[in-house]
Amino acid sequence: MLDVQDLHAYYGSSHVVQGVSFSVERGEAVALMGRNGVGKTSTLKSIMGLETRTLGSVRFDGSSLFGAAPHSRAARGLGYVPEERAVFPEMTVEENIRIGALVQFGSDQRACLDRAYALFPILKERRQQMAGTLSGGQQKMLALARGLALQPKLLMVDEPSEGLMPANVELITNALLSATQAGLTVLVVDSSFDLLRQLCTRLYAMDRGVLVGSYQPADFATPDDLAATILSGRA
Amino acid sequence: MPEQILLQALNGLVVGSSLALVAAGLALLFGVLHIINFAQGDFFMLGGYAVWFALSVTQNYLLAMVVGTVLVAILGGALLSAICWPLLQKSPVLILLATLGASLILQQVATNYLGGDTKMVPFPVTANLTIGPIVYPFYYVLVVATGMGVLTLGYFALRYTRYGIWLRAVAQNRPMAAALGVPVPRVYLVTLAVCSGLAGMAGGLLLPLYSVYPTVGNDVILNAFIVVVAGGLGNFRGAAIISLLVGEVLSIGSLFLMPNVLKVVLFALVIVLLVVRSRGTHSLVRL
Repeated sequence: MLDVQDLHAYYGSSHVVQGVSFSVERGEAVALMGRNGVGKTSTLKSIMGLETRTLGSVRFDGSSLFGAAPHSRAARGLGYVPEERAVFPEMTVEENIRIGALVQFGSDQRACLDRAYALFPILKERRQQMAGTLSGGQQKMLALARGLALQPKLLMVDEPSEGLMPANVELITNALLSATQAGLTVLVVDSSFDLLRQLCTRLYAMDRGVLVGSYQPADFATPDDLAATILSGRA
Repeated sequence: MPEQILLQALNGLVVGSSLALVAAGLALLFGVLHIINFAQGDFFMLGGYAVWFALSVTQNYLLAMVVGTVLVAILGGALLSAICWPLLQKSPVLILLATLGASLILQQVATNYLGGDTKMVPFPVTANLTIGPIVYPFYYVLVVATGMGVLTLGYFALRYTRYGIWLRAVAQNRPMAAALGVPVPRVYLVTLAVCSGLAGMAGGLLLPLYSVYPTVGNDVILNAFIVVVAGGLGNFRGAAIISLLVGEVLSIGSLFLMPNVLKVVLFALVIVLLVVRSRGTHSLVRL
């Protein structure tokens, strides 16, 4: 479904992604793990077309994404939920969800909104509230619900559990789990043991711009194992 | 005296509602694309000429207004995108300078090819309206109604339509909007055309009142900038409300003050307004 070959990304004068290659099969949930600043977010942004200076090949659903603008990548079924600045603060919760729905579903946005509200009922309560006034956790739920509601073929999610209280991590994990069971392919960047163990079929460790290891969920018996792998970086 | 004040208050609405059309376009351009467009006043001028020309061909004012507005929207949209596309990722000052250059070129081209003289047209509607003690030209009322109507439509379009929602999304977070599939280049183009068209429409509406000459936009753009700065950059409703206020200050003020003193008063008011409710230079489209 997604095939990344020798991906490089540059940010200013630094070379943040230095030749990353991996692939994600249909129906899989694959994780990228690693410390802050090793290039995970830049990898996702490069795949979405949001990094301005990139090299390498990205193939999605059988065709190359070379030179495609972010909006046409989205139209081909690629979804992205960023870690920060994900919601439109001066628009209501409902408008936030409708932005994408207007592109994909035209006038049939009701179903899209219903899907989002079914996952996170709190969003329905707050649907007329400005997204910028939601709590951090609610904003993350909104971003994820919006990403899922658009029914992409592959959804990239950056740090969905970051800064959330445990009950909300569970909510988000379950939302992603039921989506993968319904056929969604997921590429997730995260470090939560529970989320990764339950959701992922394969995990890649990343350090200083390159992939340094490939793992199965069963390789990590305890949260400490996982943390040790994430923190150890390049051997 | 009360009649004069009432008369000038009505005139203030005419000035204000047409100014609002120009300023709303200016505010949107800044909010969505971070463009400060010095040529907005010249689109007002082009609107006057376009309607004058279309009127001489069609003899139908309504048709001429539509043709003129659409013509300026297309021309202005094309000109702005030609200027802005290569400069969009660079310093905003470059775009500001480029639009200033475009403004000078447009004025010179108008002088060379259309002549420096003033083009006049008669009022399309000659009926008068009796409002209390005064007899008021019906066309003035039409100008106010059209200006207000278009702005109200614009407000609801921003709020509820597909392009309105997209436009606000792009203004607030362009990369995220793109990642959700919003066709950003198309939203830019529509914004550029609509904002140019609004100025063109104002120029056409005021043609029977003020006529048109190559530098007619200069007075308009100055007031429009005052409005946009005071109302908040990117603030659509603010631009409309402050425009009416500026129109009233200019009209009623002219009863009591010399024009040059009036300008000073206006600027002083803007400074007070900025100090009292300064919200910084938000680059969001606010409703």
